[in-house]
Amino acid sequence: MSAISAAQPEQMSVAAKSAAADSIHQDTTAKLFLLSSITYFFIVGVIALMIAAKFVWPGLMGNSPFLTYGRLRPLHVNGMLFGWLLAADMGLTYYLVPRLCGVKLWSEKLGIATAVLWNGIILGAVVTLLAGMNQGFEYGELILPLDVAVVVAWVMFGTNIFMTIATRKYEQMYVSLWYTMGCILWTAFVYLTGNFAVLFTSGVNQANLNWMYVHNAVGLIFTPIGLSLAYYFIPKSANAPLHSHKLSMVGFWSLAFVYVWTGAHHMIHGPISQWLQTIAIVFSVMLIIPVWAVVYNFFATMKGQWHQMRDNIPLKFLMSGVVFYLLTCFQGPMHSLRSVNAIVSKTDWIPGHAHMAVLGAFSFFAIAGAYYILPRLYRTKLYSDALANWSYWLFMIGGLGFFVTLWLGGLWQGWQWNNPAIPFIDTVVALTPVWIVRFFSGILMFGGIAAFLYNVMATVIGAKDNPQAAA
Amino acid sequence: MTDYFYPSIYFGYFFFFLMFCGAVFFFLRSFRDGYWGASGEDVKYHMLDDDEKPDSSQYHLR
Repeated sequence: MSAISAAQPEQMSVAAKSAAADSIHQDTTAKLFLLSSITYFFIVGVIALMIAAKFVWPGLMGNSPFLTYGRLRPLHVNGMLFGWLLAADMGLTYYLVPRLCGVKLWSEKLGIATAVLWNGIILGAVVTLLAGMNQGFEYGELILPLDVAVVVAWVMFGTNIFMTIATRKYEQMYVSLWYTMGCILWTAFVYLTGNFAVLFTSGVNQANLNWMYVHNAVGLIFTPIGLSLAYYFIPKSANAPLHSHKLSMVGFWSLAFVYVWTGAHHMIHGPISQWLQTIAIVFSVMLIIPVWAVVYNFFATMKGQWHQMRDNIPLKFLMSGVVFYLLTCFQGPMHSLRSVNAIVSKTDWIPGHAHMAVLGAFSFFAIAGAYYILPRLYRTKLYSDALANWSYWLFMIGGLGFFVTLWLGGLWQGWQWNNPAIPFIDTVVALTPVWIVRFFSGILMFGGIAAFLYNVMATVIGAKDNPQAAA
Repeated sequence: MTDYFYPSIYFGYFFFFLMFCGAVFFFLRSFRDGYWGASGEDVKYHMLDDDEKPDSSQYHLR
């Protein structure tokens, strides 16, 4: 357990109560979103392990329809994306936006109602997806009533955040606020197109709209809200100013103008127009501009601060996430090139790439944010710095094992698929060793999730016994 | 049966067009609001301040 201040408990209690009384922030919404999302992270982590096990031992879970791959996989995807990551990002946004604006959250009651509705949606998703109710679109599996509920919840979230920003005390907005507002507006566009407009199309156009949604779910939802967190927590954790706010503006606006056209690169060599494929390739390569603007800014911010990586847990997660962000955003444009795409598309390389983006980059940012703010929210100290360090290394080693194995396996798979002399089933059997490594890497990552959850819950539960005004 | 094929595609592009217009508008406005000017870097120092208490900073109040 981490060292508690040498001050007397009575003094700490008084200091904590005083700090709590002085604070203008209530933070109930942030707490609700964070604690529920971290719990979903653990639950959906179990589902992820079950899926990884089914790759190695297909008959492991018998013939129960609830445990088939077709039901567990969408539950894993939706649970991780919307139950864990987006909910955690929303919780952290409810924390940082009022602080950057110098005012209270516009409506804590609306925030609490949003958290309740969001949890209802996630529970509804668990029930319906396990029951086999699925619209059949990648990332758009939820049934229509739940899609409508997501839109309502997002409008509630957006209203609260925009009204908080509208009532802000300071004239200029820090870049995190730009990304947050961009995310809220772009999500409206992306989600409505991917979950409603797509229902009225068919064939190739439907596939094109669906992939535009899938890629922009990552690029225009998780990227801006994730970068919003990174731009806030890296300077805060390192206690060093951002290298250049103007450069962060370059990154924001280039992302705004470039990202939306890239979705069609999922259909390279598919039955869509060559001009559309070429546009997707060109804009995918142009993504290097916002990515480099962001990554250079973060690395330059860390100049003279790298020694803090030794024992600053949030900073470890954040800067590792930045490296993964750079790698995944280098891979993405390369995949879109026709020659590379012919090898890696549809292979295990792609889940390796996607997991590095969603887990390695954006989940690392969210975990760092949680480690940073939870002791502050509960005015205590983190239960265990050592356990937090363990969670970092479990995530890192498990994640690297997972990503690298799937990249190598995907390349191997792609070369085999390009040889018509090899029967398809042989390419499936050949990948068994890759899936075994993936399963054991998954166990390590799940250990990281378990350590993270335990640390968070022990911090929250023990907060009353160890009150302390966080630094 | 009503064919929603093209209306749905037009809907997607129209929505994208709205977002594009909004992006152009706010991008141009960011110049007027001083984000690219001499004081464009002030905000990065201010975000390090602790806003836990009311009126903790007098930075560029609205």
